[in-house]
Amino acid sequence: MSVLSGAKGETAQQARSLYRQLLRQGEQFAAYNFREYAKRRTRDAFREHKDVHDPREIQELMQKGLKELQSMKRQTVVSQFFQLDRLVVEGGKTGKQGGRRNNLVRQKDTGWD
Amino acid sequence: MFRTALLRSARRATSQAARSSGAIARPVVPSSFITKSRFAPSAFQAARCYSAAAGLSKPEVEGRIVDLLKNFDKVSDPSKLSPTSHFSNDLGLDSLDTVEVVMAIEEEFSIEIPDKEADAIHSVDKAVEYILAQPDAH
Repeated sequence: MSVLSGAKGETAQQARSLYRQLLRQGEQFAAYNFREYAKRRTRDAFREHKDVHDPREIQELMQKGLKELQSMKRQTVVSQFFQLDRLVVEGGKTGKQGGRRNNLVRQKDTGWD
Repeated sequence: MFRTALLRSARRATSQAARSSGAIARPVVPSSFITKSRFAPSAFQAARCYSAAAGLSKPEVEGRIVDLLKNFDKVSDPSKLSPTSHFSNDLGLDSLDTVEVVMAIEEEFSIEIPDKEADAIHSVDKAVEYILAQPDAH
């Protein structure tokens, strides 16, 4: 998705907007691995196609990106239904993670289950 | 009869208590407000209004943004980092990197910058200017 000098103003602006939306949506995954993958995949896809200049191809890629954004919106909502333990690599806090990122629900270990 | 008397005495007691505590508090508040600096720890700090501005200073904002860029691994020449450097001309960032930097700035100051304003931020001083104009940045 040609965002560098080649693209005309409007397309470039749309591409930047899509990039921003994809990265923001990726942040919403509750699971660390999914979150990091979504961000990494977005970055890699945009870098991979940064030299595309054909307007048709750009349009196709933008459509693909929008479709991915839609499915990611659904997936993030579903991912927030499940409670996951925070991973050690996420650092600092321990405890159960609720819906959104950095949202910890402390659960006391009662010892009988 | 007994109940009304009890109520009356209770009311008098509470109003007296309020008056006496007010009398204690009154001379202390203005003096601490005038003589000490605004953020000096005092017994009355808990009473600071939540509506008071956070008070971000320009050097602090600049320092935080420059630190953030220092840790951004795509900056080609960290020696060129200064409060006036331009993202693409001085630091060698492309437009995708700029989007990422602006998003990192959003996270740093816990605000959300709308698309239009975010596209206009191309240099460190523009970002500083924008952050200083935001009342809820901190």
